[in-house]
Parts: sequence; C-alpha cells; structure tokens
Amino acid sequence: MNLKRVWYIFRKDLAVGPRSPLLVFMLVLPLVMTLAVQLIFTDFSGSDPRLAVYAAAPSELLVELERLPGIRLTRLDGEGRLLAAVEAHDFDAGLVLPAGFDAQLRAGDKPPLELYFSGESYAVDRMVLAISAIDAIRTVEGSAPPVRVDLINLSVGAPVSLATRLIPVVVFYAFVIAGLFAPASLLVEEKERRTLVALLTTPAKMIEVVLAKGLLGMLLAFALAAMTLAMNRVVVADLGGLAVSMLITSLFWAMLGVLIGLVAKNSEMLFGIVKGSGIVLFGPVVFYLFPSWPQWIAKLFPTFWAVDPLWQLMANDARLVDVLLPLGVVVGMCLLMLPAIVGLSRRVLRQLA
Amino acid sequence: MERPKISGPALVLAIMKKDLLQYSRDKLYFWLTIVGLVAYVAIFWLIPAEVTEYAVLGVTYRDLGPLDAAFSEAGEEGLRLLRFDDEDGLRRVMAGTAEAWLDADGELVVVERGDKDSRPEGGTKQTLTLGLAFPDNFLLDTLSGREATVRLLVNNNTPVELRQAMRSLVREMVFMISGHPLPVTEPVAETVILGVDRMGAQISMRERMRPMLIFFVLMMESLSLASLISVEIMHCTVLAIAATPAKPSHILLAKTLFGMLLAFVQVVVILALIDAFAVGNLPILLVAAALGGLMFSGVAMFVGSMGKDFMGTLTWMMLFILPLAIPSVASLFPGSAPLWVRLVPSYSLIDILNRAANYGAGWLELAPAFGVLVVWLLGLFGLGWLTLSRKVARL
Repeated sequence: MNLKRVWYIFRKDLAVGPRSPLLVFMLVLPLVMTLAVQLIFTDFSGSDPRLAVYAAAPSELLVELERLPGIRLTRLDGEGRLLAAVEAHDFDAGLVLPAGFDAQLRAGDKPPLELYFSGESYAVDRMVLAISAIDAIRTVEGSAPPVRVDLINLSVGAPVSLATRLIPVVVFYAFVIAGLFAPASLLVEEKERRTLVALLTTPAKMIEVVLAKGLLGMLLAFALAAMTLAMNRVVVADLGGLAVSMLITSLFWAMLGVLIGLVAKNSEMLFGIVKGSGIVLFGPVVFYLFPSWPQWIAKLFPTFWAVDPLWQLMANDARLVDVLLPLGVVVGMCLLMLPAIVGLSRRVLRQLA
Repeated sequence: MERPKISGPALVLAIMKKDLLQYSRDKLYFWLTIVGLVAYVAIFWLIPAEVTEYAVLGVTYRDLGPLDAAFSEAGEEGLRLLRFDDEDGLRRVMAGTAEAWLDADGELVVVERGDKDSRPEGGTKQTLTLGLAFPDNFLLDTLSGREATVRLLVNNNTPVELRQAMRSLVREMVFMISGHPLPVTEPVAETVILGVDRMGAQISMRERMRPMLIFFVLMMESLSLASLISVEIMHCTVLAIAATPAKPSHILLAKTLFGMLLAFVQVVVILALIDAFAVGNLPILLVAAALGGLMFSGVAMFVGSMGKDFMGTLTWMMLFILPLAIPSVASLFPGSAPLWVRLVPSYSLIDILNRAANYGAGWLELAPAFGVLVVWLLGLFGLGWLTLSRKVARL
C-alpha cells in the first residue's frame, strides 16, 4: 500500500467535492438541524405544567403566578377561550380571576377559586398547579410562611437541560451524513460511473481507494461534528478526551460507510440499505430525548456505543477514562468491520475484473 | 401488420408489474424492508405502556399528628409516599448512592447501589423524585408558634416546579394545622375537570408513537419511490418505456399507484401490528393510510425528478421530509400543536391518525381534517406530477 496514492485519491475526492451538492448539504446541515431541532423541541417541551390565566382586571396574583419556576404560564383574553383551551388540553389547568379578586382576598371574603383542570392532565401536574396557585394566593393575601423549607440538592453537577439532550440528535446527523453517506455514495458512484475501473488501471490499488474514501468520510464526520458542537456551544470538562472520542467514532462511521458502499452494487441498493437500516441507525438517539424510557433498549443498537461516549463527555462532564468502555466497544466493532471491508474490496475487484 | 391496441389500464398495469418485479428481485431491499418493519413494531412494544402520573416522595418524620392525614390526601393527588426510617437513608437514595426497594409485603428496604444480594426477592425498585425530612420536634414547634425547618431533598432529576410545589405543600399543611384555613372557597370537585377525566387511563407514550411510526413508514416508502424514479431518470430507462405505446401519463400513473400501494400495504401492516385497529375506526385509518400514501407519492415524484444522484435525491428528500416530520414529533406531546405546526402539509394526516387511533374519533369529527388533507394532497401531488412529467418530457 502506498500512502502517497491514498493521498492523491483523497485529494481528488476533496477537489471534486465543491461540485457536488453533498458539500453544500453538509455545510448547511448542522445549521439547519440545530435550528430545526431547537425550534421543534423548545416549542413542545412537554414536561412543564402549563397554566392558562384569564384575569378580568389587573391582579397581583397574576404577577405572583408568573414568578413560579417551572410553570409555563399563558395569559388568555377570555374565560370562554380559556375553558375551551383547557378542555383541548392545550393547558393542564386554567385559572379565572374575576375583577376585584385581590381585594376580596385581602378583605377575607374568601372569593371562589375558579381553577379548572384538563381531563388529560396528569395527577402530579394538577397537584403542582393547585398547590402553587394556593401558595401564590397566600402571598397576595399577606400571610407570612409559617415554616422554613431548606432546599438541599444532593446531586453533583448541573442538571441536564433539554438543549443538551438535543445535541446527540444533531451530532448524529452530522456523523451519518458525512461519515456514513459520503464514503458510501462516493464508492457507489465510482462503481456506477465506471470511474473505479479507470482508477484501478492506474497503479492505485483497491484498498488504497477504499482507504482514501474512508479517510475522507472520517475527516468530514469529525469536522462536521465539531462544527455542530461548536454551534451548540457545547462545553466539556475534557476537551482532549472529546477529540479522541470524536476521532474514534468518526472512524466507526466512516468504516460503516465504506462497508455499505462496498456492499451496495448501485444507487438502488444504497437507498435500500439506508431505508432498511434507518431505524437501527437512528433508534438510540431518541432515547436521549426521552430519559424516562427504559435506557437498556438503546444499548441494543450498535450505534448507541458510537454516540454514548460523546453524550457522557458533554452531559455528564465525564473524562476520557470514564468512556473507555463504550469506546472499547466502538473499537471492537471497527475491528470486526475490518476483515469484512478487506473481503468485500476483493469481491468488488473480482466483479470489476 | 397492424399492432393490437393496448388499453390504458393494461399499460399502467404492465409498468406497475415491471416496477414490482424490479423491486422483488432485490433481495437485500426486500429483507431490509422486513427488518425495518419489525424494528418499528419492536420499538413500539418496547416503549412502556404505563403512564407515571405521580411523583414519588420520600418522607421521614416521627409524629406529624393531623399532618398524617394531609399527607395521605396529597398521596391521592399526584404523590406516592414512601416513608423512610431515617433521614440518612433518604439522603443516600436521593444522592444516588443507595436504592429504595419495596419488598413483596410493601415494606421499604434501602440497599447500597449495585448490591444485588441485598435486594428483596420479588421486590420493586422505587425511583424517588424528591424527599422531605421533618425535624423530630416539628409538630410541637409548629403548634407552639415556633418556626420549624423542613429539609427538602432534591437531585438533578427533580423538576423545578415540584421543588416549588413541595415547599408550598409543606407551608399549606402548616397553615392548616396552625388554624389558617384556605383564603378562597374551593370549587366543587365535579365542575373543575374539563373533558374526559383520564386520570389513571392516560394516553401512554407508546400510544402517542403510533402516528410517528406511520409517518416513518410513509417517509421510507417515499424515499424508495424517489430512488426508483431518480434511477430511472439517471439510467434513462424511462425513455425505453416511452418508446412503447405507453404515454408519459401512463408512466406517471403507474408510479403513483405503485408508490401508493407500496406505502399503503406497509402502513396497514404496521397499523395492525401496533394494535391501532383495535382502538381506532378501521375505515378511517385505511382511508387516511391511502391518502397518506398518495401524498407521499407526490413528494417522491418531486424529489425523484429533482435529484441527479444518490446524494442529490437524499438532499432533496431531507429538505422535504424534515419539515413534514415535525407534526409527527408534535403528536408525542400533549395538547394542540402550535399554529405554525398546523400549517405543515402532513399535520392533518398525523392529526387524523392520532385522533382516530388514540381517541377513537369518528368521521364527523375528522371531516375538517380530511378536507385540509385533501387540499394539501392535491397541492403536493400536483407539484410531483408536474415536475416529473416535465422531466420525462425533457428527456
């Protein structure tokens, strides 16, 4: 094997790149994915209890309610609208504040509490909203809290935000598009257009062509993933560890891409593989979005091991030593793919001959 | 010699047969389709069907007197209480260094994390959301007007609103025992629940996933059809067909019907395997599946005629599919989707599938959504038909 020839083929693919929609797509993808995913999930983030309030007149209670942490409060401009929205479960609960509510409260007239719950709201949300509303009412009434409640957080580190949980989704796309699809489609295109035959009439060997495609996929995956992480302002405790993990996982995706590119005889087959394996590839990523789902299921997917080290480094402030096990699994999968790649390369060569 | 005239339907059928043959010859494609379907169904059944409507609260106290009853009441309203013998055990469980288990008799056992031998046989692990540690002299202090201090133990998994609500709950309980009744008149319980009260029978995440899975199948099938079209264009095999008595309209119709049938059959299989027919109205789901198949055939025709190669087709597909996927993600979350989501063409399809499969909605209720779906369908299908027919004509 001649590394110089690998470099020439790599450079040729890189030079052809700007003419391909692939490059534009890959450059735009992190931005589009970051925007799309953030837009989708920040608008839907469903765990916070949602309270709608209609106040017939300005009320101090409304101000108190707005101060409540973790509750999504929305002001509506009509009682009828509020009732309809609560019934449609657009809100977990709705509070109607008639004119003069605050004055009645302070005068000790015990105004009626018009708090409505959606039939689809969860019991815990009903409890949270009811008790929080009553606490706010006590504040407006002027009652001083009769007990001290000290909050003690027993966790080490900061909680994992929704934005952080979204990062594996975005990074995953970067890896799949650049690391997997790029080398796979480059190989298939070379086979379909017969340029591979032309390439192999030169001193270049099949394994060098494969290595060049894999190298391109790996570097593109690494660069695109790094760009995605930077755009999402990811901060990690072990930057070196992140770089090492990204290199290893980029290698995994590139090898998988090369493998698929060698297996697929033509574009139809490549489409078929992408279609059929989509769920297997994407499966584990969904589990990061829904931490309440049984996480062991995610571990059944091979791609979980290629995403998890990055997740541990980003979300749990892990260091390289903490992710050696999943990285070991990734390296193991790469080693398993190696003989398959060599064997398939020989097969392609025989087919071309 | 005059060639026998071949009818239009026969030509369409012949092209469809050719496509089907092309499809079935690809064994890898066939098996991957099966694997994909099995994976969708497996994921559906692996996702929990239960909905956790309550938070688990660990408490430690000696004697709370009348507060015991208040706690029990709160337990019925979104909290499940676990009483710990001492604060240390509760702290260790909240910190994650120990685990709380309920044995077969319902007794709480605290074991060190990872100590499998100490776990009670037949017991169930409890995941605490938060803990409350009351001081020993809490009741005495409160009744005598002295300010007591309660410790609220949380971890990073404790939602911020629950932290605040627990503070409020403790304060309210103390208000109650110290003779400060509620400053408002409580409403009658029957009047405060709007809509069907689903407490204890909520729509689970598994059920919410149904429309999403259907969307994935439609998406994958439109990718298949798009690839079939783009390959025919790339290899100019479409010209070979055009050399026969078949007109471009026959080719387009054959592609449409083939794509729709392919998607429809798979959607029906998935719907059956994820138990949607047992809950939803069968004819509604079938009509929605057929319309969905048709809509995505339109998308596939557009994408297939735009892409020049694999990456080109994939790029166009992603550009189209990503926005179309948004409503299926929205269906995982409760309540009506935001206005901008309702403007996405696939929204009405997902909405119909969601309401029919999960809420048992009928024709009358879904008629407006079907109307919107048909409008979008005509638009997308028209776009696909126009783009592909122009492409074929140009070839």
